[in-house]
Amino acid sequence: MNTTDNLRKTIKTLVSEKKVDLFLGWEKGSLPLAATPLFVTTEEEADRAIFDVTCGNNLSIYFTKDKKQYADKKVGIAVKGCDARSVVLNILEKQIKRENVVIVGVPCNGVLDKKKVLAATEGREVLELMDNGDTVTVKGKGFELSLNRQEILSSSCHACIYPDAQEYDFFMGEARGEVPNEERVKEIVDFQNLPDSDRWEQTRVEYQKCIRCYACRNVCPSCYCNVCFVDQNDPKWIGSTCEYTDTVIFHVIRNLHVAGRCVECGACERACPMDINLLMMNRKVAMEVKDRFGDVAGLDIDGKPAMSDFKEDEKQKFIMG
Amino acid sequence: MNMVSLDKKKFGSFILELSAEYTVYAPGKAGGKTEFIPVESEDEIDLKTLVTDLSPKGIFFPHSEVLYEYDKEGIRVPQKETGKPIAVWGMRGCDSRSLLMLNKVFGSAIQMPDNKNFQDPYWKEKYDSSVIFGTGCNEPLSTCFCNWFEGGPHSSQGMDVFVADAGDRFLMEPVTDKGRAALDKMSSFTDSTEDDKTTAAQLASEAQGGMAEPMDVNGLGEMLNNKYDEPVWEEVSAKCINCGACTFSCPTCHCYDIQDEGKGSSGKRIRIWDSCMFPIFTMEASGHNPRALSSQRVRQRVMHKYSYFPEKYGEFLCTGCGRCVTVCPVNLDIREVLKRINEYKKQGITNG
Ligand code: SF4
Ligand code: SF4
Ligand code: SF4
Ligand code: SF4
Repeated sequence: MNTTDNLRKTIKTLVSEKKVDLFLGWEKGSLPLAATPLFVTTEEEADRAIFDVTCGNNLSIYFTKDKKQYADKKVGIAVKGCDARSVVLNILEKQIKRENVVIVGVPCNGVLDKKKVLAATEGREVLELMDNGDTVTVKGKGFELSLNRQEILSSSCHACIYPDAQEYDFFMGEARGEVPNEERVKEIVDFQNLPDSDRWEQTRVEYQKCIRCYACRNVCPSCYCNVCFVDQNDPKWIGSTCEYTDTVIFHVIRNLHVAGRCVECGACERACPMDINLLMMNRKVAMEVKDRFGDVAGLDIDGKPAMSDFKEDEKQKFIMG
Repeated sequence: MNMVSLDKKKFGSFILELSAEYTVYAPGKAGGKTEFIPVESEDEIDLKTLVTDLSPKGIFFPHSEVLYEYDKEGIRVPQKETGKPIAVWGMRGCDSRSLLMLNKVFGSAIQMPDNKNFQDPYWKEKYDSSVIFGTGCNEPLSTCFCNWFEGGPHSSQGMDVFVADAGDRFLMEPVTDKGRAALDKMSSFTDSTEDDKTTAAQLASEAQGGMAEPMDVNGLGEMLNNKYDEPVWEEVSAKCINCGACTFSCPTCHCYDIQDEGKGSSGKRIRIWDSCMFPIFTMEASGHNPRALSSQRVRQRVMHKYSYFPEKYGEFLCTGCGRCVTVCPVNLDIREVLKRINEYKKQGITNG
């Protein structure tokens, strides 16, 4: 049975046996390149669920923000490896209770980045997409292309080492555990090896593109502060313009706020309308956190998030320089 | 002057001619995305992209605009760097229509309590002297729905010169006196032939035919009237994560915040894009938020565009450019929201 069929069957059982009040999954949307979140409350609705390369949305976003209405319900949720870490982080940070969520893992081979598909079609509009596993076929007016899956994956997927949920109640296939990934560090090492001035220049150019729409923060399941520092005006922490002096500060601070909390799902980068590389810095900080505190955000349901914990023998170098 | 024909081989010299008189903006690549950027030569212009990632509203209504600077000596309005007026090349019909809408807000006189008329000087300074060269869309995208409203792929509303792309040449037709005057100063083109006129008409009808059947939006505004507490808002907004990307990319959204950035005894007062999708947009100092829920904010966005604006200004605040459809990370498709609301019509619920 393929993942989609398996998923539908599981959701149906959960709904019909009243194990959940609501199930969060994905369904085909109005555009071919992105699935859309599906809210299942009846067995019929379960038949609309899908899982394929278009299912990028990290659905745990619906546990935080003003969607907190789900917090007291029994909610089932379909998760890729990164999404599962968000759910776990939400549990560890006491946004939801473990007993209130039914976690259904799906075996993930990566999700697409719209921008990469459009680069492959040279900007031509895609009207139809088929996920064939190793390849993805896209069709538009007067063209049909078979694309290598690797070529169109989100950068978060290229750097992924936990493609499957580590914490789950049901798994739609076989969970793979940790998958070694050399690519993960390459971009960061290359960047680190640049002279200071080039690093600064690259950072400035990248963050200068920011239009301060905050879509990155708003789609981030880890960014749910009641009042974000960028929105405070008394005291005002940073300037609000699109000058790079302001945008760089915004991104550096956000980067540090999600230290030990970013699950590297890539939701921010896919949502960014300006195509800004947001993940590299987050990944760098995640590696730093792992190195110094031995913690990977949202991996261990019995653990404690690095920033909420203190051990006497903790390495202090990160802060002390 | 009637329609003229510009050989694409001469496009470069045309842009140079235009640059001599104007600061020229055109679709171009800015860090991987397409938006309207200041250009000086043909090479910088992207002639292929239909709907740019960012709308051109920022040319006239920038994301952050210093209104004035202040210190102990008083306040000063920053001076524009170049005296040249703005010309925009390659604006699509949906975007040029959006400027007419924004002009109703920023450019039309509002009577102030002291009986003086107020118009937004920052907008007017840029917009009034500008000349818009708009391009007809020969192959509309599947997300284009300008034909739901009063626009269309070859509509010339809001343009000063309408340009049809006829393969090897641009057929340019002045729409306003301003457009005519702009063309009068240039010479890179030749008169058009009867053939050109037939070609232009043919392109227009083919483009129209290439669009999906529009939804009937008649009475949409009236129907939305007073429908604040309908369950439909909860239903259509369930997946919205209030990221705001839709409003930032929309050519017609124009809400802004005013912020002071000061240090010591001097500072600046800045106007900055804001979005009704953000919870903080309506947060009051007391801590009360009249639109605390996501459903209330989605309702506001829909209501403003398809009910309040038409009530006040007689047209929808949406041009059907489809940017919000493309950019939404959860695929909340405004067309589906409108279709869902239109079902009320069939159910005979016409006024709340
Ligand atoms: S950027 Fe920081 S302050 Fe803002 S929501 Fe995220 S964690 Fe909170
Ligand atoms: S989503 Fe992109 S453009 Fe928007 S605030 Fe974040 S980085 Fe900036
Ligand atoms: S882009 Fe989509 S998710 Fe974001 S605020 Fe708009 S409708 Fe909501
Ligand atoms: S609401 Fe959407 S379709 Fe309408 S003008 Fe704005 S971005 Fe374009």
